[in-house]
Amino acid sequence: MRRLLDRRILFFGGKGGVGKTTCASAMALAASRAGKRVLLVSIDPAHSTSDIFEVPLASSEREILPGLVGLEIDAESEARRYLDEAKARLAGLFSPAVVREAARQIELTASMPGVADVAVFDRMSDLIVSRAGMYDLVVFDTAPTGHALRLLRLPELMSSWVEALARHRREASAAGAHLAAADGGQAPLVDPVLEILEARGARLSAVRAELARGDRVAFVLVLIPERLPIEESVRAAHQLADAGVTMGGVVVNRVLPDDAPGEYFRARKAQERVHLAEIERRLPSVRRVIVPQLESDVHGLASLERVSACLLADSAPGR
Amino acid sequence: MDPSIFWRNVADVFHGMALSGHRRQLRSEAIELQDLFLLMCFMDLMGLPNPAALYLIDVHPYLVEEFHLWHRRMGMDRSPLATFSCC
Repeated sequence: MRRLLDRRILFFGGKGGVGKTTCASAMALAASRAGKRVLLVSIDPAHSTSDIFEVPLASSEREILPGLVGLEIDAESEARRYLDEAKARLAGLFSPAVVREAARQIELTASMPGVADVAVFDRMSDLIVSRAGMYDLVVFDTAPTGHALRLLRLPELMSSWVEALARHRREASAAGAHLAAADGGQAPLVDPVLEILEARGARLSAVRAELARGDRVAFVLVLIPERLPIEESVRAAHQLADAGVTMGGVVVNRVLPDDAPGEYFRARKAQERVHLAEIERRLPSVRRVIVPQLESDVHGLASLERVSACLLADSAPGR
Repeated sequence: MDPSIFWRNVADVFHGMALSGHRRQLRSEAIELQDLFLLMCFMDLMGLPNPAALYLIDVHPYLVEEFHLWHRRMGMDRSPLATFSCC
């Protein structure tokens, strides 16, 4: 997967507990060792990036190592931040009575389902758009598969909504302008509502276009050789294709060594071979790398570097 | 009365009738479009899921006036939404 180091954005996803954070961290480390400026972003609610690097991370960027910066996005505090910023924007624009009413409404919005997801997505979009010049590579350590895929589909869903809203607003304004002309008056020249909608729509399209760039963006699926993670990964591969996001490869994590002694390990290994063959058969056209089960937990730089080395060792599709 | 003035007045009356019909039609079209837009913006307050809810909180304050005109036009003195009071 060495060639993935030249991408601009990498997503690491997979079933909970298969080692997404380890692989995303190892890849980010490898890229920074290759001389790139790397931003590692954890969207996984079970933030463990801090634990792996033994450096506390926050919702703002913090240097982990030279060339490697990390941050952890927390859904609830992200929603909070978005809403507080919205309130601040309004404060200067409207009368105190309207601002009071709007603040009450913003609080109601905060409690609605899905708002936290959109807030995370908004932060992710912001990082994709605004950090493009600051970093060579942004690595996203995503939440478990289903959630990550929903997040990647949001720009499509949201931009069709916002575009429909803008279109209706334009039509209503045009009708209003006709009416004003018939009455001999003049329609207002600037419509702040339309301006806001168009700005949102433009940013959503930019993010959507960026995510569809197969030469710059890739999604890496992490799995372990067991039945349920395989099923979930195959589904995820289909959904990624539907969403138009390029699959960068598959990491098969925690593969047992061939020469493990003892009856127990021989039986496990035989079972594992069946699953590995299954992975080859069902995910045929993607690159695969194998990361062996290490003798100890991945924790700290030395063990992370071992994982990095495995990730960079390339294997052709169908091997 | 000068016949030419008489005919000019007749022409003005017809012109006015035609124009008011046209204007009425324009007004009802404009109002329908505005109401549809308002519905799309406030649907989350009416219990309908709106994926763009978070992105609309910047827009809502600009629509207070239009929302107020809407509920007055619909014959409701006060805002029908407990969660959105404009008057």
